[in-house]
Amino acid sequence: MHGPAALQLTLDGRLRHLLTTEGLPKSLITELLDTAETFLSSQGQPVKKVPLLRGKTVVNLFFENSTRTRTTFDIAAHRLSADVVTLDIRTSSASKGETLFDTLKNLEAMQADLFVVRHSAGGAPFFIADRVTPNIAVINAGDGTHAHPTQALLDLMTIRKHKGDPAQLSVAIIGDLKHSRVARSLIHGLRGMGCPDIRAIGPGTLLPGDLEHLAVRTFHRIEDGLKDVDVVVLLRLQKERMTAALLPSEREFFNLYGMTESRLQLAKDNAIVMHPGPINRGVEIANEVADGQQAVILDQVTNGIAIRMAVMAMTLSTQQDDHS
Amino acid sequence: MSVIIRNITIISPGSPVHEKTDIGIAQGVFVDPQTLPGGKEIDGQSSWLIPGLIDCRVNLREPGLEHKGTIASETKAAVAGGVTSVVATPATDPIVDSPADVRLVLERAGASGHCRVLPTAMLTQSGEGAQLSEMAALVDAGCVALSQGNRPFRSRKIEFNALKYAQSLGIRVILDSESRDFAGGCAHAGRIGTGLGLSLNSPLSETLGLGADLDLVEATGVAAHFSRITSKNSVERIRKAKAEGLNITCDVTLAHLVYSESAIANLDPNFHLERPLRTEDDRLALISGIADGTIDLIVSDHSPHETGAKLAPFPETEQGMSIAEGIIQLLMQLDKKSELPFEISLTAMTARAGQFINRGDLGAIQYGNSADCVLINPNQTTEFDDSNWLSAGRNSPLIGATLPGRILGTWISGRHIAGR
Repeated sequence: MHGPAALQLTLDGRLRHLLTTEGLPKSLITELLDTAETFLSSQGQPVKKVPLLRGKTVVNLFFENSTRTRTTFDIAAHRLSADVVTLDIRTSSASKGETLFDTLKNLEAMQADLFVVRHSAGGAPFFIADRVTPNIAVINAGDGTHAHPTQALLDLMTIRKHKGDPAQLSVAIIGDLKHSRVARSLIHGLRGMGCPDIRAIGPGTLLPGDLEHLAVRTFHRIEDGLKDVDVVVLLRLQKERMTAALLPSEREFFNLYGMTESRLQLAKDNAIVMHPGPINRGVEIANEVADGQQAVILDQVTNGIAIRMAVMAMTLSTQQDDHS
Repeated sequence: MSVIIRNITIISPGSPVHEKTDIGIAQGVFVDPQTLPGGKEIDGQSSWLIPGLIDCRVNLREPGLEHKGTIASETKAAVAGGVTSVVATPATDPIVDSPADVRLVLERAGASGHCRVLPTAMLTQSGEGAQLSEMAALVDAGCVALSQGNRPFRSRKIEFNALKYAQSLGIRVILDSESRDFAGGCAHAGRIGTGLGLSLNSPLSETLGLGADLDLVEATGVAAHFSRITSKNSVERIRKAKAEGLNITCDVTLAHLVYSESAIANLDPNFHLERPLRTEDDRLALISGIADGTIDLIVSDHSPHETGAKLAPFPETEQGMSIAEGIIQLLMQLDKKSELPFEISLTAMTARAGQFINRGDLGAIQYGNSADCVLINPNQTTEFDDSNWLSAGRNSPLIGATLPGRILGTWISGRHIAGR
């Protein structure tokens, strides 16, 4: 393997950091999903508390605002009995002119074990992982429009739970793929799991230029793209896309690409509908679909806790093995 | 004092290659060695003697940005790369826009420079793109051309006026074509940059700007030089415009001939440049452009930075690469890879560059020309490492590299200059 993705694995192929799903081998993805499932109770809820990370310190480094993702990482760390420190860097050191590098060195000196990093610059978690002392693990909680690997893993977990092996499935991703780290990471994850049919559906202004290279088929008409898919993934549409003249209006987007009951019938029977949240009703998704039987959106949230527990447990166990 | 360099192969644009020959240097110029009564002799050991390179785009950082580099450190680095003359950009602090600034640069170069320094200045005051600078006074003070750098004009109308005024005074202008609407982005809008989720720069930013600039150049008749073109499309437009008889020249940076977008795959901030590295197809088109003369010059766009400027995630780092001290070695590497013959790349940094700065006495080894030359052994190599790096800017992919070619000696106006 080459590129920054190589940083996240040890020489013998174990997970040292989680930075991207690009190039992540199927065996590791499967191990992550399997581990996450062990953190779910028989009722499908994450277990309340296990002592796995007792005495460990998890530092949430959020250089970009995010309540939802940060909360799920918080909960996951607490359920593993870790100590959690959350730093909202936007309002602390960065605004005082301290560089990311110096912030990093300071936090290292405070004996942290794991950094959860969200940053608006693509590649920032790689920069950190490349420079932290070897006993600290780094988890990418979203960097620019580059990657959001824990979201992709929870999506894969949800897909596997409901529809089985992704290697047998057709998956359609609809909407603003161009600005979506969620979509990019999911595509890499699906490819890693051997998914043979990944489709991107949206107008030309919202699709990135490298889909063909990723073996993703593109469709501008949702009716063509949805045909016989097993999984429908909707993406959140940001209001900025209208002011940037990438789209005329939310209404036109809904008319062309909104997930309605009649459109959903083009997919296979019992196809699932996913969305990373928060959803915009009447923009990406009609009420009856959001509240319908095929939507698994809240299950994704539940799985998100378990996945983050699994990622923390696995990366820290790699660190422990290598430095005990 | 006179010198005879014996037993050398002279490679100089416009002349056939002379093997096993000698050259004399006296009173600062090349002379027929047979006319010299005697004096010091140097055994060239069958090495190559080439004209000193003329690098038409170098950021010397002085005055004002000495934490990035100084005229002393960066001209020393340039000499180590085979360069004997540099054209300095006005991108200093203060920005060079007055005759006093030009004189300051020349004074400092005279005091601490290791090679010839030729200044340029801004076309507009403070580089703000609004009011014209005192162009005639700037040229009188020693500027070889005027540019707007990568700063926009306030309007195309002001640009038109600047070009028209320069044309009427016979002043050459340097243009970095860019459409403001499409400017920005730290990576080429291609597979690599998209995959890394970086902010993207479309080649349209260049071609839209170039199209408008070409119209203004045609309308004003100014002698214009287009600097740092990066795309296949731009090469084709320049080729067409030249065929139509427009009075233009252009350059490409050495980095764009050597590297393509794949260089950023590891997010190495040394490859974060003002003009992004584009596709392999673009790189090959730029090389063809040099080979067929569409692109006149190769420039280093040498941009040293302090360590902190590159110690951040890729998009947040400052742009530019310190590359000057490996110029000749990189040209030899392009030759070794059979991508660009050395004789051709040499022309783009010597004879054509001499014409560009209106110095007919530079850029070729001919009797009577200023004795600016470099003795280089093509069979030896140069190792670049932390301990022998000369530029104040360590922002270079060359540190740790071994490249073909080793400089044995450099002369400027007949004076021997200490090298690496």
